[in-house]
Amino acid sequence: MKKVLSIILVVLLFMGVVTGCKKTKDSDSTKESRSKVDEETPEGSEDGAKELSKEPITFTMYSAESNPNYDNFESPVAKKIQELTGVTLEIEYEMDDPAQRIGIMAASGEYPDLVYAKGDLLPLKEAGAILQLDDLIEEYGPNLKKLYGEYLPRLRWSTEDPHIYYVGTYPVYEVRLEPANLFWLQHAVVKELGYPEIKTLDDFEKALKDYYAKYPQIEGQDTIPLSLLADDWRFLISVTNPAWAATGGSDDGEWYVDPETYEAVRHLTREEEREYFRWLNHMNNEGLLDPESFSQKTDQYEAKIASGRVLALADADWSIGSPQTALREADLEERMYGRYPVVLDEDTECRVNQSPGYTGGWGISITTSCEDPERAIAFLDWMATEEGQVLTHWGIEGEHWEYNADGKRVFLPEIDEMRRTDPEFGKKTGIGNYTYPFPQWGNGIKDSTGNYVQPDSEIEDIIENYTEVEKEVLAGYGAKVWMDLFPSPEDFPIKPWGATWMYNIEDPDLVDIDNRVTDIGMTLIPKAILASPDEFDSIWDEYLKSVEDAGLPKLTEAMNDMIQEKMELWGTKE
Amino acid sequence: MIPIKQKEISTKESKGKDIRKILSQQKYLIAMSLPFVIWVIIFAYVPLWGWTMAFQDYKPGIPFSEQEWVGFKHFLKLFNDPMFFLALRNTLAMSLLGLVFGFTLPIILALLLNEIKNLTFKKTVQTISYLPHFVSWVVVASIVTQMLSINGPVNNILMSLNLIDKPKQFLIQPNLFWWIVTAADVWKELGWNSIIFLAAISSINPELYEAATVDGAGRFAKMRYITLPGIMPTVIVILIMNIGNLINIGFEKQLLLGNPLVKEYADVLDIYILNYGIGSGRYSLGTAAGMFKSLVSLILLTIANTISKKTTDIKVI
Repeated sequence: MKKVLSIILVVLLFMGVVTGCKKTKDSDSTKESRSKVDEETPEGSEDGAKELSKEPITFTMYSAESNPNYDNFESPVAKKIQELTGVTLEIEYEMDDPAQRIGIMAASGEYPDLVYAKGDLLPLKEAGAILQLDDLIEEYGPNLKKLYGEYLPRLRWSTEDPHIYYVGTYPVYEVRLEPANLFWLQHAVVKELGYPEIKTLDDFEKALKDYYAKYPQIEGQDTIPLSLLADDWRFLISVTNPAWAATGGSDDGEWYVDPETYEAVRHLTREEEREYFRWLNHMNNEGLLDPESFSQKTDQYEAKIASGRVLALADADWSIGSPQTALREADLEERMYGRYPVVLDEDTECRVNQSPGYTGGWGISITTSCEDPERAIAFLDWMATEEGQVLTHWGIEGEHWEYNADGKRVFLPEIDEMRRTDPEFGKKTGIGNYTYPFPQWGNGIKDSTGNYVQPDSEIEDIIENYTEVEKEVLAGYGAKVWMDLFPSPEDFPIKPWGATWMYNIEDPDLVDIDNRVTDIGMTLIPKAILASPDEFDSIWDEYLKSVEDAGLPKLTEAMNDMIQEKMELWGTKE
Repeated sequence: MIPIKQKEISTKESKGKDIRKILSQQKYLIAMSLPFVIWVIIFAYVPLWGWTMAFQDYKPGIPFSEQEWVGFKHFLKLFNDPMFFLALRNTLAMSLLGLVFGFTLPIILALLLNEIKNLTFKKTVQTISYLPHFVSWVVVASIVTQMLSINGPVNNILMSLNLIDKPKQFLIQPNLFWWIVTAADVWKELGWNSIIFLAAISSINPELYEAATVDGAGRFAKMRYITLPGIMPTVIVILIMNIGNLINIGFEKQLLLGNPLVKEYADVLDIYILNYGIGSGRYSLGTAAGMFKSLVSLILLTIANTISKKTTDIKVI
C-alpha cells in the first residue's frame, strides 16, 4: 500500500513539474484550457467600459534599462498615476545584461505584463510572447496614434512581418537643444588658458597638456588629464563611440553609414578611426591618459570625476550625469564640464548632431502573460495624453509646478533647486521616472496651454540651468549655449535610415558574429592604445584581420540589407 | 561516507534472504530516504531532459515536437571555436591553481592551528580566518581592486620598500590574472576549508599522541606520523570531490575582477556559455557546452577515484 502511495506521490510530483513547465499555449489538457476560459469570461463582459475603467490593477514590467532612481511606485507622481488610472506598476529594472535575462525569460515562458526589451525583443517575439498591437492601438490608442502620427509605420517590425509589436520609446518630434557631443573639458581648464579654440584633437591635447603642466595636482591629488571608462559595455560608449564622433560620424552604434550612399561599415574598421586610436596611443605614451582607464569600474570612474581631478572625458552625457550633479552640489562648478566639437583634423566635419528622425526601433511591448491587454494599451495611451505627459515630466500642479504670471509652466523654486542638485530627485518625486521608456512627446510639441510638455524645452530654460561658471565660459567663446559651438542639426538632412543601433539583428549566427567582433575590439583596442607607438600599427592590423576572420563581411552585408529594408518599410527610400 | 558503510553492513546481514523481507525490515529507512530520492529525481534527473536541446536548433516557446533536430552540429561548432578552447584552458588553469593552493594551504593551516595550545588565540584565529567566506564575491572583488589600484596599499608598500619605482597596474596584466584570482580565492576560502580538516584532526585518538611522546617523537614527527595519516581519508575524499569539480569553478570572480585587457585569460567556460550561448540566443550551443562540462567532470571524477582506489584503497563512488 505504501509503495502504491509513494508511486502515486512520485507521479503527482512529476505531473506538477511537467504541467508547471508547460504553461499557457498547450490546449490538450482540458483542465488548463477550462481555467483559462474562466479567467477570460469576466474580462469579456467588462469590455465596453474598458477605456474608462479605473479599477485598481497591477502590471508587472521589465525594463532592460537600469534606473538607480526608481521609486518603487511610491513617489507622489506614481501615486498620482495610480489615482488617475488605477494602474500600479511593478517595474523590474535590469542591473546587467538584458540579453541574458530576456533569454531566460523567453525559455521559461513566464513573462511580466509589459516588457521594455531595448534591442533584445526578438527571443520573446519568437517565443510567441509578444502581442501584436496594431488592432489594440487602432481601438484603444487614439493618443498614441496622434503622437506617432506619420512615424507610426516606423514601429513596424519588418517588411515580412509588418506589424507593430511595441509602443515606441524616446520622445517623438524631438528638437536637439544640447549637442550630442562626446568630448568634455573642465571649465577650469579653458578659463585658465584664456578660452583657446578647441576644434581638433591637437587643440584638445594642447589644452590638457598646458593645464596639466601648471597644475599637476588638484586638491592634493594627482591630476588626471583624460580618463576613459571600459567597464563592460561602457567600453562602447567611452572608448569606441568617440572614435566616430571625432571622425565625422553620427551615432549609428557600432556602424558608420555613409550619408551619401547609405552604405554601412563597422565604424572601427575605418582608416580615419585608426588615426583616432593612434592619438589615444600617443596620449597614453605622453602620460596624458589615465592608466586606470581600462581597469577601473564605473563606481571608481564616477568617484574620480566627482573628485574634480579629471580634466577631460570622452563619454556620453547620461553617463557622467551623476558625478556632474555631485560636483555641482559640492560647489565645484569650475570642475564641471563643457561640451566641445572635437574632431580629428581641420578637414573633418563634426556631424554628431545629425538627426535620425524618430528612430522607433525599441519600445514597450505587451506580453501574452498580460491578462488585460486592452487595459494595458489604454494605460500606455493615457501616458501619451497631455495629462499623463505633464504629470510624468513636471509632477503635480501646486506641489511641483505652477503657472507663472505669463502663463508659463514653471517648477516651484525649491523643486527647481532640488532637481538640479539632488542626485535622488527622481526617487523622491518620481518626476522623470515614468517618461522614458514610455511614450513621450518630444520637446518640439506644445500642449493646449501653449507650454512645452518637456521641461527645459526652450533655449532660455537651458541657459537658466547653466551654472555661473558655465555661462562665463560660454561668454568667453562668444556663445550662449553649447550648441552654438557645434554645427546645428539643421545643417544636415534627417538620416533616412534612422539609427542602426536600434536595428534588431535576428539571426543568432549574426548576433554571434556581432558579439565576437565587439569582443575582439574590447581585447585588442586597449592593447593597441597601451602599446608603444611603433607597435600600434601591427596591433591594429591584427585587429582588422581578426574581425574579418570572425565573419565581419557577412555581418556587414546583412546590415546593409537591413538598412535598405528599413528605408523601404518606412517609405524613406528615394 | 556513512550511508555507504550502512549499505555494506546491511547487505552482509541479509545475505540469502528474501528481498521482500529486506524491504520490510528497512521500511523506515526507505521511507526516510524516499523524499530525498524524489528530490534527486526531480532536480537532478528530470532536468537532464533539457540536454535534448543540444541536438536541436532550439527556439524558445515552440513545442518540443516542432523543434528542429540537427544532430551533433552544435558540438562540432563548439570544437571548431578557438574561443571555446581558450575558455577551457583558462578554466582548467585557474581551477588547477585553485586546487594546488586552495587545497594544500587549508591542510597546512589546520595542522598549524592544531599545534596552538592557547585555546582563545586558536579560536580567534580560526574565526577571523573563516569570516571572509561569508563575504560575497562582489565585495571581495572591489576590495581586491582597491588593494591593487595605483594608489592602493600594495603599490604603496612595494614603493616604500623600493621594490618598484613606479606604481604597477596589476589588474591589467594578463599573466598575473590567474594568480590574482587564485590569491583572492585562497584568502576568501582558506579558513572555511580548514574547518573540515580540523574536525578530522580532533577525531584522532589522543592516545596515539601520548604513545608517540613516550617514544620521543617531536612536534613535527607527530604531525607527520600521526596527524597527517589520521586525516588522510578525509583529505583523499575531499581531493576526489574537488577534482570532480575542477571544471565548475563558477564565473563570479573572473567576471568581477576581469577587464578588457585580461579577457583572454579571464573568460572561463561559464562566461563563454553566458556570452556566446544564452547571450546570443544560442541556447543549443550553451547546452552542448554544458553537456561537455558534465562529461569532463565525470571523467575527471572517475579517474581520480580509480587512482585513489588503486593507491590508497579509499574511494568515493
